[in-house]
Formats: sequence, structure tokens, C-alpha cells
Amino acid sequence: MSARILAVDDSPTILEMIKAILLAGGYEVITAADGAEALETARAEKPDLILLDVMLPKLDGYRVCRLLKFDQNYKSIPIIMLTAKTEEQAMATGIRTGANQYLTKPVEPETLLAAVAEELGKAQG
Amino acid sequence: MPGDDRLSKDLTLADFERFRDYIHQHSGIWLEESKLDSLRISLYARATRIDRVTWDDYFEVLSRDEAEFRELMSLITINETSFFRFPQQFEALRAHVLPEIMGDKVADNRIVRVWSAGCSTGEEPYTIGMALFDSGIETLDWRYEVMGTDVSTKALGVARAGTYPGRALGNLSGEIVNRHFVQVGDDEYRVAPHVRKHVDFGYHNLIKEPYPLSLMGNWDIIFCRNVTIYFRLESTRRVVSNFYNSLNDGGYLFIGHSETLTSITDMFEPVEVGGVFLYRKSPQEKRWHGFSASGPQSLTRPTSAGVRSGRADTASAGPTPGEREEQRVARQERIAQRERTRRAEAEEAAAGASSVAEMLHLARQHFAEGRPDEVERLIGLVLIADCGNADAHLLSAYVHADSGDYEAALAACTRALAVNPLLPGARYILGVIHQRQGDLVRAVSELKKTIYIDSDFALAHLNLGNIYKQQGKFDAAIREYENALRALYANPEGEWVHFLGGWKADVLLRTCERSLIECRKAMGVA
Repeated sequence: MSARILAVDDSPTILEMIKAILLAGGYEVITAADGAEALETARAEKPDLILLDVMLPKLDGYRVCRLLKFDQNYKSIPIIMLTAKTEEQAMATGIRTGANQYLTKPVEPETLLAAVAEELGKAQG
Repeated sequence: MPGDDRLSKDLTLADFERFRDYIHQHSGIWLEESKLDSLRISLYARATRIDRVTWDDYFEVLSRDEAEFRELMSLITINETSFFRFPQQFEALRAHVLPEIMGDKVADNRIVRVWSAGCSTGEEPYTIGMALFDSGIETLDWRYEVMGTDVSTKALGVARAGTYPGRALGNLSGEIVNRHFVQVGDDEYRVAPHVRKHVDFGYHNLIKEPYPLSLMGNWDIIFCRNVTIYFRLESTRRVVSNFYNSLNDGGYLFIGHSETLTSITDMFEPVEVGGVFLYRKSPQEKRWHGFSASGPQSLTRPTSAGVRSGRADTASAGPTPGEREEQRVARQERIAQRERTRRAEAEEAAAGASSVAEMLHLARQHFAEGRPDEVERLIGLVLIADCGNADAHLLSAYVHADSGDYEAALAACTRALAVNPLLPGARYILGVIHQRQGDLVRAVSELKKTIYIDSDFALAHLNLGNIYKQQGKFDAAIREYENALRALYANPEGEWVHFLGGWKADVLLRTCERSLIECRKAMGVA
């Protein structure tokens, strides 16, 4: 069975792009458009990996990440944060919230797929 | 930092407790500390979803808006569920419970009614529907109805739709999928009409009384496989009592495979069917049981063929009714005695300021260090605080078995198993005692039960192997020695380590290997 990935972004266009890349990589994809939906979906669906945009309505990506990483039931789910920010500061925050990786948008499809494969491999290994 | 993260203040412990208490008050569901993370996620999700800026603000919405309360509860009670979860229970339903219930009914009442309480997204009631269909009772001119209820409207929506993604069917055989599902999309399957037409759904909060008339009564079977996990003791008693009152005489309650009602109520008669523990409403007894289900009343009666009483199962062949009455009186006397002692000794327990968990931990240390008197003293204190503590009874059994007092060890095992019939350690001790007393039939039975509960219990495999070897059943012995080795490699730190009496696991390993070689030689010679 292929791994299920929860992609979270408030832009439907970007979400569609990410979805297309992941589907092409052979993954199953579920989506959420804001932080609240991300948490609800994570709870209901227990995805194998989460791709999380930082700038989200309702609840930002950092907070979503931190909430999930503090929860025994979800902390093992790898989270890759996506952001337009390039500052070191943001990067550091991403790591402190427990995110497994941090990618700067726009992300090359190959880079995205490589990061996903790497984290899934680590999670299984 | 993004500026739209408006609910910026972290949830304080006081906030947590306020929400937890409110949820408990209004749903009966008590969130253990281990569930607090889930509560946090659910609260953040819901509060931000409806744009609440502070926790006070969200609490205010929650307390006046029933719809929001349901939304929050939907999220909190998301449950692991799947089709044919714990298949042994459905086998027990098909092979034993159903024929018994049908046999008890009169000719003009040929209908079986099953209630799946807390049905989540519908997998359980549909599974029941499939099991009933496969039993073929319809072809015998019987009808059946299955009702699923839940507090989550969202889950009920999924249940009513009856459509599931392929992964939800992952553990089912192709044959079951073909028979009971219709593929309706790329990766979507709908429960087939012949199952759906017998299954209905409705909203119901198990803690809200009185129950609607539609649920109150005339059920033959009730499934509620999380009742003791979500609810606190008092709520569980009320829920179970309501189940009792809703069941027909002779009806059955199915609870989770790891749950037990023994310390909750004795209104039901616990019965074992093929390794599964079920609870039966005794058919001879017709009286209203109020909500205080804690009184010492035993309804245990001889059961019909194929179904054995779980309580009588452990030590001796079933007692006569007279003996049972004596046992009941003796038990009441013990309870009263314990109550008298409790007051005197509770202070001592409090003076040590130790929690039950701490005392048990200390007792285990003393046991490991060979101080049985100290262990007994601590167990006594634990049992004063919590007379239904299965771990304390089990530890007591260890101590007695260790000192060769088999009678006391048997009694302690029986008490531990009455609280939790699925304690592998207690089954193992029973098995070893029977083995030492030369009752190999009982020994084999208990050791097999140990393995049934915990297949990695290496010592149980080893002892079974020894018995078979002794009986000249070398092929069976070889199988068990191999299983013991497999279990040793799989789980070198299993619960059975306590029984090694200080020996190292590698000694056990060599013992198994040597016995294996001996059996193979014997087979070669034979």
C-alpha cells in the first residue's frame, strides 16, 4: 500500500501542484486548506507524512507542527515544513517546533520527492 | 511570524481542566492524562475553526452551542475501528451466541436484535450485519436488525453513507469483500444492499438518561467495545446497568477484548466462548437493577452447552448451587472484613504517602530481592486501597508459588483472573501448578490459554514442550520448543522473565535447543 501524505496549503493552486507531484511519485494524497483542518485531518486520517505550509489561516504551520509533535499519537509522523521565507530565523523556528525538514518554496519536484522519500524511509527504518 | 495566529496564548492547565471537566459533565467521557494531548489538538482545531480568540471565548460558545459541543466530541472520540476487528468475537457470535438466543425464543418471535453502542463510522454494526447474514439465519425464516449509535454526528454521517476507501478493507479477505461490498469508485467500496438493509443508525449519548424508548429494551445482543476505556467507573456502572436493563433475558453484552466488567458489576454472568469473554444476562433472573450496580450479588448460574462459565473455569469443576451460596456468603464476609480492616490500615497506607503504583513497584523490587514478607505486607496495603487490583493478586500468586504454597497461589491467581481474565502470568502460574501436581490435562489447557493471550510467552511454550516430550508426543514438543525459541528471540524481555528465578534468558535458550535436539533424536529413533 502506498504511503498517504497530508498536504496543507491555503492556496488551492499550490495544493494542486503539490498533489500532482506527489501522485506522480506514487503517493496517496489528502489535503487541508488551513491549520484547523490540518489538525482535524491528521487526527481523523493519521497520514504517514505531512507537508505543512508555514503561512496558514486559522492556525499557523508552526503551531500545527508543535501540537502534533507534542502528542504521543502523532509525534512519529514526519513533518516537512514549506515556506517562502528564507531567513535563518524562520529555519531555526521550523526546527525547534520539531519539524523533520524544512524546504523553501518554490520547491523543485525532485527535491520535494527526495525529501518525502527520505523522511518516510527514516520513519519506517 | 504570521500575524493571523490569533489564539496565541497557550492552553494553561486550568483551561485544560475546565474543558476536561465540562466534557466529563456533559458526555460522561473522562479524558485520562494520556488523552490530554488529543484534547489539546481538538480544542485548537475547533476554536480556530470558528475564529475564537481566547479560550474563555471558546468555552462560552461550547457551553451554549450543542452543535459545537458535538463537533468537538466528534474530534475527541475519533476511534480506531475496522471491519471484523477481533474476529474471535464475531466467531463466538455466529457459532455460540446466535444459536443459543434463537433456541431460547418462542416460535412467533423470530427476530434477533443487535445494538452496536458507540459505533463510530459504522464498521462494527456492518460487520455484525455481515456475520448475521453469513450465519444463514434468514434462510431459516429469522429476521434480524442491527442498530448503530454514536455521539459523533460526523462519524454517523460516514456510517450512514456506508462507503469506505480501499484501505479500510485492507484486512479483509477477497471473498468477504466480494460478498459484502460493491466497488463504487476507483478506490471506494460500499457495503452491499443485503447488509445495509438490516443496519440502521442513530445519535445517542450513552450517558444521557433516560434512554429513548427505541433503545430501552428488547435487545438480544449489545456490542460496546470501549465502555470501560472512555468512561469513569461511576459512569461505566450506569452505562452497563442501562445495557443490562435494555437486554432481553439471556441476552449478551460484548465488550472490548481487553476489557473486563468484574470490578464494575456482577449483574452479568461472565462466560467464555472459544477464548472470548462475554457477559450474559441470566435468563432465570427477572428483576430491575438500579444504577448502584456495585452490591455483591451473584447471578452466576450453570450455562448451556458450548458456553462455559468464566469464573468457574479457573480452578475446579463447577461448584454446586449450595457451594455457590456458601462461596457467596464467604465472599460477603471477606468484603465486610476487608472493609473493617481497611479503616484501620488505610491510615498506615496514607502515612507512607505511597500511591498504589509506588507500593506495587516497591513490592516487585522486594520480590526480586527475595523478601517475600515485605512483598506480602505491601500487597496487603495495595489491596486495602484497591481490592480489585489484578497486578497485586498476581504478585501475591508469584510469591506463594515461589514458596511452594500452591493452594494460596491458586487462590491468588483465581482472584487476579476474576479481575482480568486475560492476565497471561496468572494463566501461566495455574498451568505450572497443575503441572507440578501432575494434572497434565489442566496444565496443558492453562498453558495454551497463556499462549493464546500472549503468543510470545516463551516459558509457557517451553513447559508445554516439556509436557509433550514427557508424553512422547515429540512432534508437538518440537513445535513448542521452536515456538519458545522464536518467542525468546522476538521478545527477550517478556513478562515471563519474572518466572526465571534469577536465571538468565540465554540459559533458557540453551535448554530449549537441547530439548529440541533430544526430541529430534527420539523421532529419528522412532
